[in-house]
Amino acid sequence: RYVRQLQRLQLLFSPTAADARGARQFVEEAAQDFARQHPDVVLYVSPHSGPGPAPVLRAEYLNGTVREELIASKTSEEIVQLATKLANQSGLDIVRIRKPFHTDNPSVQGQWHPLTNKPSILTIQGPRPQPQ
Amino acid sequence: MVVLSAARWLRSRLSDRFWRVQEVLKYARHFRGRKNRCYKLAVRSVRRAFVRSTKARREKKRFLRALWITRIEAASLEHGLKYPAFISNLLKSQVELNRKVLADLAIYEPKTFKSLAALAQRRRQEGFLAALGDGKEPEGIFSRIVHHH
Repeated sequence: RYVRQLQRLQLLFSPTAADARGARQFVEEAAQDFARQHPDVVLYVSPHSGPGPAPVLRAEYLNGTVREELIASKTSEEIVQLATKLANQSGLDIVRIRKPFHTDNPSVQGQWHPLTNKPSILTIQGPRPQPQ
Repeated sequence: MVVLSAARWLRSRLSDRFWRVQEVLKYARHFRGRKNRCYKLAVRSVRRAFVRSTKARREKKRFLRALWITRIEAASLEHGLKYPAFISNLLKSQVELNRKVLADLAIYEPKTFKSLAALAQRRRQEGFLAALGDGKEPEGIFSRIVHHH
């Protein structure tokens, strides 16, 4: 069963700033539909009054990563697209994966070492000859 | 009165020059000398580094294939077979393993690789018999081809 990795989305914006217009339109029109479409994500809308930091959409995931995306001067549709993108992501860091595979036990028959294919007489150390 | 455009002698100044410079310098931090600190030198070095990394993606495939071939050659020589004989006889016995997998088997699964080398050796002997014997003896067991339809 699919468990959505996005825990909560916090929409921090100022009700008077000019660049938060898209955020305000999103809250008025599309926020309810978005919350209904994604029932396992909690959407917090926290307007802070007065001139403050830039409007931001903060996403918190189940593994603890917090991802903040600026929504200054973005239209309501763009914010909806951003929110769906964050909702479909998992909280893993976005780095280049070096290999698409990983094992903890790479060798079943025993890893090769220079003495694997040599006659086993070489590994036997008999009793040392006594000095005479 | 309403002013629609600023006066001609008014010029705007950059306020985020620091971050624009850091965007380039963050890719130059592990370089040697002044090009990891000075922006003017770093711009050139970072651009060359990116160009080289794109071109090297084609070389990486060739390099890795040569590495696998070296490893398979070393492993098959341990079992008394040369690389061309090993690969050709494996293909003739319809074992279509690529060089990456063969190299990994040679490192992590030496017994499997030994059995593959023995298979290739047996197929080689049967090939010699079929070519030199000519006629009376029956066909070899490992020379039979399976048709998948």
